[in-house]
Amino acid sequence: MTAAVIATQGLVKRFGHLRAVDGIDLDVRAGDVYGFLGANGSGKTTTVRMLLGLVLPTSGEISLLGERMPKAARKVLPRVGALIESPAAYGHLSGRANLTLLDAAGPGGSRRTRRARVGEVLEQVGLAGVGRRPVKAYSLGMRQRLGLAGALLRRPELLVLDDPTNGLDPQGIHEVRDLLLELHRGGTTVFLSSHLLAEVEQLCSRVGVLDRGRLVLQDDLATLTAPTGATVVETPDPLRVRAALDGRVLSLDATRAVVRGADPAEVNAALVAAGVPVTGLALQRPTLEEVVLAAAGGSADRVDGTEGRARR
Amino acid sequence: MIAVELAKMFRRPRTWVTIALLNALPVLVAALLALTDLAPRPGEGPPFLSAVLTNGTLYPLAALAIVLPLFLPIAVALIAGDAVAGEAQAGTLRYLLVRPAGRTRLLVAKLISVVAFVLVTVLVVAAVGYLVGQVFFDVQPISGARATGGTALSGTSLTPAQITGRTVLAIGYVTASMLGVAAFALFFSTLTDSPLAAMLGALAVLIASSLLFTLDAASSIAPYLPTRYWLAFVDFFRDPILWRDVVRGLGLQAVYVAVLLGAAWANFTTKDVTS
Amino acid sequence: MAARGQRSGAARRWLVVALGVAVLLALPALIGALPASDAGTSATDLRDRALASADVPFSGYAQAAGGLALPVGDQLTPVADLLSDRTTMRAWYRAADDWRVDVVSATGETGVHRDAGGTWTWEYEEHVASRAAALPLALPTAPDLLPSALGRRLLSEAADEELSRFGADRVAGRDALGLRITPADDAASVSRVDVWVDADSGIPLRVQISGGETGGSEPAVDTSFLSLDLTTPAASVTAFTPPPGADVRRDEQQADLLATGRRADAVRLPDSLAGLDGRTLDGTPGAVGVYGRGVTLLAVSVLPGRAASALRDTLLVAPGAVVDDVGVRIAAGPLGLMLVDGGERRGSWLLAGTVDLDALAAAAAQLPPRRGDR
Repeated sequence: MTAAVIATQGLVKRFGHLRAVDGIDLDVRAGDVYGFLGANGSGKTTTVRMLLGLVLPTSGEISLLGERMPKAARKVLPRVGALIESPAAYGHLSGRANLTLLDAAGPGGSRRTRRARVGEVLEQVGLAGVGRRPVKAYSLGMRQRLGLAGALLRRPELLVLDDPTNGLDPQGIHEVRDLLLELHRGGTTVFLSSHLLAEVEQLCSRVGVLDRGRLVLQDDLATLTAPTGATVVETPDPLRVRAALDGRVLSLDATRAVVRGADPAEVNAALVAAGVPVTGLALQRPTLEEVVLAAAGGSADRVDGTEGRARR
Repeated sequence: MIAVELAKMFRRPRTWVTIALLNALPVLVAALLALTDLAPRPGEGPPFLSAVLTNGTLYPLAALAIVLPLFLPIAVALIAGDAVAGEAQAGTLRYLLVRPAGRTRLLVAKLISVVAFVLVTVLVVAAVGYLVGQVFFDVQPISGARATGGTALSGTSLTPAQITGRTVLAIGYVTASMLGVAAFALFFSTLTDSPLAAMLGALAVLIASSLLFTLDAASSIAPYLPTRYWLAFVDFFRDPILWRDVVRGLGLQAVYVAVLLGAAWANFTTKDVTS
Repeated sequence: MAARGQRSGAARRWLVVALGVAVLLALPALIGALPASDAGTSATDLRDRALASADVPFSGYAQAAGGLALPVGDQLTPVADLLSDRTTMRAWYRAADDWRVDVVSATGETGVHRDAGGTWTWEYEEHVASRAAALPLALPTAPDLLPSALGRRLLSEAADEELSRFGADRVAGRDALGLRITPADDAASVSRVDVWVDADSGIPLRVQISGGETGGSEPAVDTSFLSLDLTTPAASVTAFTPPPGADVRRDEQQADLLATGRRADAVRLPDSLAGLDGRTLDGTPGAVGVYGRGVTLLAVSVLPGRAASALRDTLLVAPGAVVDDVGVRIAAGPLGLMLVDGGERRGSWLLAGTVDLDALAAAAAQLPPRRGDR
């Protein structure tokens, strides 16, 4: 078992009467690329802010890289890189000046290596060529890259990212994804908070799903999308599948039938024997979307409305 | 941290625009005075203004007296109100805190950079005032055999060295007088995410204080008003120097700074940063 | 628990701040509540000590507040301002004829320097230094409102039976013993004068004059030292040399007033008015009479026709003015002012003093006929 990088116990944040985060037990381990999924207003950002000591929890405990937060913030946070919601920088300064100031503003960044490190991360995120242009002349994508560069400045052990591909063009999204995977290969644990299922599905090894302040699901992506033990049969004549395999058919539509049985070869053999035309065969795997919707729907037993919960 | 805050403030164009605008009024007043030769009537207008017609050496003080009631506090409230709320509004506050810049450290660094701003501003106003005084008005020789310096409010003659020394003291005192405003704005700045609200809050306090000061019914609280001893910098030019109000002014500003900074600290270090 | 620690941390921080504020707020009140020790000095002894303090050198900072709204003409505006405004003064006192009092305003100051020959008055904002000779009778100026000067003047003529003691207080951070004058004269408009005398040096530290119909609880005049230092000030501080470039003048205003009276010196004033005995002051012109004693004083003066009509216009529109066939009179706190318009035969008289309106009317009736201006 690898060490926990982020561990929370019974984490609760109340804003007045509203429980924005309602008893979360996060478990992120070293080497994970953890996808933290949730709709807007589900408490994602509040949770991320609590992890980083920006918002103080009402109750519960947070351990970050083995240290108690927010007590040990000064010790732990230099080892963490973060991109929280949108990137932010001083518009009148260049990207390089912004990063230099940010690096100088806290502990854990040697003054001697500052220039080199700033140059390196700008290179890494593809901003090395922008020169002295002030940040206010940057496009949204460039700002996003600059924010990412700021998060990478001190070679963090843990990256906490909130919608890192927001505002990027497809090319940029691809680059960021590659960058994250490369960092991950280098040993960085990534905590990726997102509402984009596809992004999480492509990047992450573990997934946590937040719904209205509760963690309704937390598991390895592989486990969640493991085969269900059914086979999907594509056929122009689904009704004949039912006739051939009566009792094993789970569902039917115009071109497909889902049949119980974890071995497509066996299903195929039975259908072919019955003379049913088969155009496609596959093991049934749930998509992440289906998993998330099922989990989130299952916890929709709360009384309080969702309007008041819309905290960013 | 402090160096970072100073760099941020002084590399910002707005800081210098503010200082430049602040100097526009004294320069304009000097030009008008020199052109028309119409001094304000005794007891009216800012202190020292009627004296500069005969002695331009006093113009730095007249310039300070001109900006002291309104322009200078507005500038200070603008910069101090922006200190935390501005970072919150721009979103940079969360990155600073996650960096991590400790919240108390950040607050202290902000206060120090605001103090530096006040000092630089007052010095620039005084320096511009000096130049303007030399250019527009008759100047009594400041060195050489006929050096006379100037006349104190009490009618005694001051040597050029005394004038210079007392001007330096007055500049220091004006700077200290602004600390209360800065502390108010800084405290409000930790309460809100809007720098404008913080600035207006501090200005509201000042306007209330100036108003109450003129009200006889409020005379019992007058000694505690933040603007009460602002004009005491004039007391450096009495002979002997009248220290009473100066000392009280400094003490009062110290109390305001201590209390408001304490409140800002208590609020900011336990606040949820959701901006 | 980390979370609970944070929350109680917030409470603790606010508590620290609140405690600090409470201490700071309580501090002035605590200092003010320091008890004053009351030595068992008798009223007359205390008066004698106060009068003997005229040769005690000191320097101090005083504030005088007058609540008297005097409706008077241009010539007396400085006096009216003095009695209706708050005056802040710095004083350096070496001897009775060697002192300096600066009236401090936000933007300037007016300094009066007394030496053996007279006074220099320096007005910063006009850049004017004026020299005046020492006169036996002069309009009140700011130095007269200094608690030490005012207190000694009022106590100097108080009869023993008018004096009483009332507790002690702290004034200017010093123990001050209370001494009260309750005027015995029927004509008196001042109901009482409270003088706080420094237990240590005998210098009057605070003087409050109460009385008059509109007096209420607020004293008509309240003057008090806010700080007092008993070391002898340097001679260079009280001395005055007009600075270079100053406009040096001779102050003729006060002499003018006296000359006004002298021109009509043919008038013979009665020995007493309204039951108040006349008093002789050296150098007083014949047409100016001063009556009464202590805090009950009445001054009578002939007014030139033009000055009289200007003053009459001002008095007639003043609130509370009593107009009858003798003239017009008003009271401002304990101060009574009357303009007697005697017509061609008797001329115009100005009566002013700390007497009530009835006494003013009685005095007006006793004024002699005037033979007219030369």
